[in-house]
Amino acid sequence: MPERQFRSSIRLCVAIALGLVLSTGIFSAQAQDRELKVGYMKNPIQDASLDIMEKWAKANGVKLTRVPMAYSVFMEKVTTTLTTGNDQFDVIWHNDDWGQLWKKWLETTDDVRGIDNADQWPLLAFWDDEKKLTVVPMAHTVGTFFYRTDLVKPEEVPTTFAQLVSVSQRLQKEGKIKWGYVGGMNMNNTWFSLWWTMWANNCDILKPLFERDNAKLAAAKFEPAVTAPCHREIVEFWWDAINTHKISPPGMTAYGRNEANAIFMAGEAAFTLVDSTHFGEFNDPKRSKIVGKIGMAPFPVGPRAQKPTSWNEIWGWAIPKGVPAERKKLAKEMLSAMMSDEAGQIEMWKKTGGPPPNVKLWPKLAADDKDFAALKHAVFDQTPITHSAYYFAEWPAVHKAYSDMAIAALSGKREDIPKVLAEHVERIQRAATGN
Amino acid sequence: MNEKTRFMLALITPAALVLMLFQIVPILTGANVSFRDWTLHDPKRTWVGLANYVHVLRDVEFLEIVLPNTFGFMFATVALSLLLGLMIALMLNKRFPGRWLVQSFVLLPLMVAPVIAAIMIRWMFNDQFGVVNAALEGLGLAPISWLTQRWTTFLVILLTDVWLWTPWFGLILLAGLQSLPREPFEAARIDAASAWRTFRYITLPMLRPVMVVCIVIRAIDAFRTFDIVWTISGGGPARATEVFSIYAYVESFQFLNLARGSAAAVIGAIIIVIFALLLYRILNRFVEVSK
Repeated sequence: MPERQFRSSIRLCVAIALGLVLSTGIFSAQAQDRELKVGYMKNPIQDASLDIMEKWAKANGVKLTRVPMAYSVFMEKVTTTLTTGNDQFDVIWHNDDWGQLWKKWLETTDDVRGIDNADQWPLLAFWDDEKKLTVVPMAHTVGTFFYRTDLVKPEEVPTTFAQLVSVSQRLQKEGKIKWGYVGGMNMNNTWFSLWWTMWANNCDILKPLFERDNAKLAAAKFEPAVTAPCHREIVEFWWDAINTHKISPPGMTAYGRNEANAIFMAGEAAFTLVDSTHFGEFNDPKRSKIVGKIGMAPFPVGPRAQKPTSWNEIWGWAIPKGVPAERKKLAKEMLSAMMSDEAGQIEMWKKTGGPPPNVKLWPKLAADDKDFAALKHAVFDQTPITHSAYYFAEWPAVHKAYSDMAIAALSGKREDIPKVLAEHVERIQRAATGN
Repeated sequence: MNEKTRFMLALITPAALVLMLFQIVPILTGANVSFRDWTLHDPKRTWVGLANYVHVLRDVEFLEIVLPNTFGFMFATVALSLLLGLMIALMLNKRFPGRWLVQSFVLLPLMVAPVIAAIMIRWMFNDQFGVVNAALEGLGLAPISWLTQRWTTFLVILLTDVWLWTPWFGLILLAGLQSLPREPFEAARIDAASAWRTFRYITLPMLRPVMVVCIVIRAIDAFRTFDIVWTISGGGPARATEVFSIYAYVESFQFLNLARGSAAAVIGAIIIVIFALLLYRILNRFVEVSK
């Protein structure tokens, strides 16, 4: 190929490439003016909340683009887009588990209309350093004790750990169910077995118990409470539930919520505890054999507690700081519309079991809807003993260290439980301090 | 620069650019991160020297659980896949009716994405709904909670990996077998050598160079296995089946400490480079001796 021809070919290629890049940029910039991209986890509740926003978007000529992601990669992926100042998403799903990690990367939301109607308790994880809010609630995620109404009368529902065992065993003996209680237990599912019983036994992970002020936790050197008697009791409770009383499946230490829900929805267990947001799934005739046979009740309590507790957190939406001002404004308008759409929020509850973010709707909903009344009694009328997570950066490492400890203790001999718990004190403390 | 050289460079440039952008630059970026204070949620980027490396190398879990698990898994999966792959290759090297059908069937696992296979296997070994326990119960045996104990979980992971990779060994070794010269086999037949002696003294020594390449490539790949372990056990129960890549992932993306995860990844890369060079040298010497 002659040199001149070669050079002109290269120039032509470069010119075409530049032209393509520029035209793509121009066209995408034009399209983005009236488009909002939402990064979220594929879940019926989040889709229902997006449906509310879609109504507003259609009415206002805005294109709403849904970008679903798997839970297992969501936090990592979105954290990266936030810290790089990328404006890939205009609105993102936000959760208390990583509320504090994102506080400096998110737009404040105090000026979103309807935010005053949100419950204040679950917002603790979402304040930035200037005490400004960085979230708009989408739905409450509350741990809910579900039972089978066709097997257990309301007055027979267990109110203590001991009754949970005895009622389960009775139902098993009568051949009505294979298992009494089933719940997720492996990493990231710790809430649905170990932790609800921990709080229901007046216990916690770190000392001082129930403290969520990071300064006070640091002053106490993030000392784990896992060797406290209240804590040993709940690990022993689960060891016995699996191995001695056999009310829970032997494989439960490896279960996530999918496995546990599958057993409950197959009609093989009488009780489970999971986020209320699964209520819709349990009542989906395409997936569940127990449709219409599910009741909700307060948590059974352990020997050290006098009254039931609960946890009450939220899922929310947030706006990344890196989003251009025009789109931030548009996103806030959309979230304001979502917060103000009472009919949409009630529809979300009816479709999915996601409790509305506007708490002023709750009394009305409880009066009209027996399921919401049951949830309100089971969860919202009980006083939370503390929040269902800690809100410091090393919390995921603490959670993992705790989970490893609990699973190791439950996989070994019962008499070794105190030893395993003691061995992990230093590991949990190291995880909490980043060492 | 003459025209031939320019033409050659023009051909190489696209591949070199891709390699540079998607391999070299990320590796260098990762290595840079490993020397800094770089969390995913708040990257300060301050230089901390070897602190992250020291942390990983002093981590008891890394030394006493992660590395033994990684090497144990690597040796076991390579050995089993090689053995089964060789058997399949020998079988497919013979003519028999329906050979093409068997060959297609044997290759099926290669066409399944490892994550899909792992999800499938996790449910197959589920203690309540799994087909494996159903079969055990059908035989009058007690069901097993496969994923709650270290060695049963390890076995499930190993079987999955072997199932996925045996066809690859089979395919490569079959190609190796079919390229062997016919004369030594004809001579053995004339000498009335038994099938075993033909295999032991002719097939195996001549196939060794192909086996060496297979072993080295697969060993490197097995060292960095992530998807099936993550999907089946997440490294659990507790950390009992945690391998090197899970350790790096958890540090980087669960604990959000990208610097520490990158340091673990660099340490792993150094280990596998040294190991691969040693393995290649040992196996190559073995081939030379057998010649």
